[in-house]
Amino acid sequence: MNILETRGLTHDFEGLKVITGVDLQVAEGERHAIIGPNGAGKTTLFNLITGTYTPKGGKVIFKNKDVTGARPHQMVRLGMGRSFQITSTFSRLTAFQNIRMAVLSKRGIRFNIFRFVDKMDDVTRETDEILKRINLDGERNIPASGLSYGKSRSLEISMALATDPEVVMLDEPTAGMSVDETHYAVGLIQRLTEGKTMVIIEHDMDVVFSLADRITVLHHGEILASGAPGEIRKNPKVKEAYLGEMEI
Amino acid sequence: MNKGFKWILWGILIVVLIVYPRLFGIYYTNILVEFGIFALYAISVNLLLGYTGLLTFGHAIFFGVGGYSTALALTHIQGLPLLASLLIGFLSAVLFALILCPMVVRLSGTAFAMLHLAFGLLMYVVTLKLRGITGGEDGIGGFPIPPFSIPGIVSIDMTDPLMFYYFAMIVLVICISFLWFFTKTPFGQIMVGIRDNADRIDYVGFKVSHSKALIYIFAGGFAGVAGSIFALFQNLVSADEFSVLNSFAPIMIIMVGGIASFFGPIFGAGIFALIAELTSRYTERVELVMGLILILVIMYAPMGFLGLVNMARARFFNKEGAS
Repeated sequence: MNILETRGLTHDFEGLKVITGVDLQVAEGERHAIIGPNGAGKTTLFNLITGTYTPKGGKVIFKNKDVTGARPHQMVRLGMGRSFQITSTFSRLTAFQNIRMAVLSKRGIRFNIFRFVDKMDDVTRETDEILKRINLDGERNIPASGLSYGKSRSLEISMALATDPEVVMLDEPTAGMSVDETHYAVGLIQRLTEGKTMVIIEHDMDVVFSLADRITVLHHGEILASGAPGEIRKNPKVKEAYLGEMEI
Repeated sequence: MNKGFKWILWGILIVVLIVYPRLFGIYYTNILVEFGIFALYAISVNLLLGYTGLLTFGHAIFFGVGGYSTALALTHIQGLPLLASLLIGFLSAVLFALILCPMVVRLSGTAFAMLHLAFGLLMYVVTLKLRGITGGEDGIGGFPIPPFSIPGIVSIDMTDPLMFYYFAMIVLVICISFLWFFTKTPFGQIMVGIRDNADRIDYVGFKVSHSKALIYIFAGGFAGVAGSIFALFQNLVSADEFSVLNSFAPIMIIMVGGIASFFGPIFGAGIFALIAELTSRYTERVELVMGLILILVIMYAPMGFLGLVNMARARFFNKEGAS
């Protein structure tokens, strides 16, 4: 069964067509990678699905519900988490406070002005557990802006996961990482997204093939091909689109 | 700092506040009341500026609305109790914040600041023009100040400056403590999150506009309380309360005291009160000295007085200053 679907999704920026009739299908539990050359519309597709933009045409179906035009917080509450290509954490808050924000949201603590947040022991415990799992417990009280690049990427990815979503959308989680950091991040993603549906935008083909069990190729705002990694590797159209740009 | 030490500090503060009038006389007591009013006012602005990252050039709207509604209520309603008049000031400011909310919560940055400048000027002009209600340039003065009374138990004359000092201080300390607590709640975390990265707040699952609205209502309401106490204190309200200068005053206080801390505005209000008192002995151009100090602070100590204190502490103890 498809947990996430787009039907004829279309979007343009003042006439410039970026996404044209995209029918994306993500089955429950699937690890779905979206690849494509620069400017193919991958991040825009993410922005349309997660609620940054309202699509100009077409539909987004999430858990059998039409969520076209829903705002990001609504998508999060429905069970979708998202990380960003460009790290988007709370720079002046500590690693702990960053994760705690997501934990508070997950527990539906939104307008609570009656308790000290530091005295909510269950929230603190859960946050500390997450920090430990992502190996950031040593940096607990360091502001996000003071973390190393690799660590801040871990924080970025973990914030998307700390709300315990059913579908995780990761936008180039390993962007700008060194080989070692990438290796570590792949392990982290595998560990944290276990049992969840994952959609990932990725350039690094090693990462794609080690994480994904289904690949969609986006080119000029359209789906060029969609299938298992083996099929995509052999697909002549895909080869043509990349034409020596990438070795797949 | 351990808990016991904190309680001792609180105890000292309360004792100092109680004996202060006896030590320094009524003139300096009144200065302390004014300081307290502006501390609360600046803290309410700092909820928006320092915590949520929203710069406003028109917070005097709420200060003024609080003052005028208390003054109007006391002028027109016979035998209105003191606390009720204060509550009317608070609720009117909250009502105004509610009215402005739908327009301002989706804004931030320059648009937020300038729209408030416009609303502030509008309020100023409207107050001047509606002479029948607001008294125009004369303002409203000489309204009765009711005693603080619990029927059958106690009735304290509030025209006595000493008694009014105690009353004002109790209200101000309660309000400031409440706002401090407000910043320590889970919702306080969302506030600083909006300041750091409003988009991510949305992507973590909080609705930014609703959260901003709640902050705005609190910031407005408590500025109203400050204005209300100011009206009772002076037994006068005038259109000046809506003036641009009165909107900028809390921003200057925050900048001088330290934007990054809850207590910064309190120190800022103290510094301003001190400077106003010292310079007014020699010249009437108090604003000139204030302006110079503001320039110096922005150039050499952008984190304000508390920023300097933290830097000094970090240097002395050779460790990270408290954030």
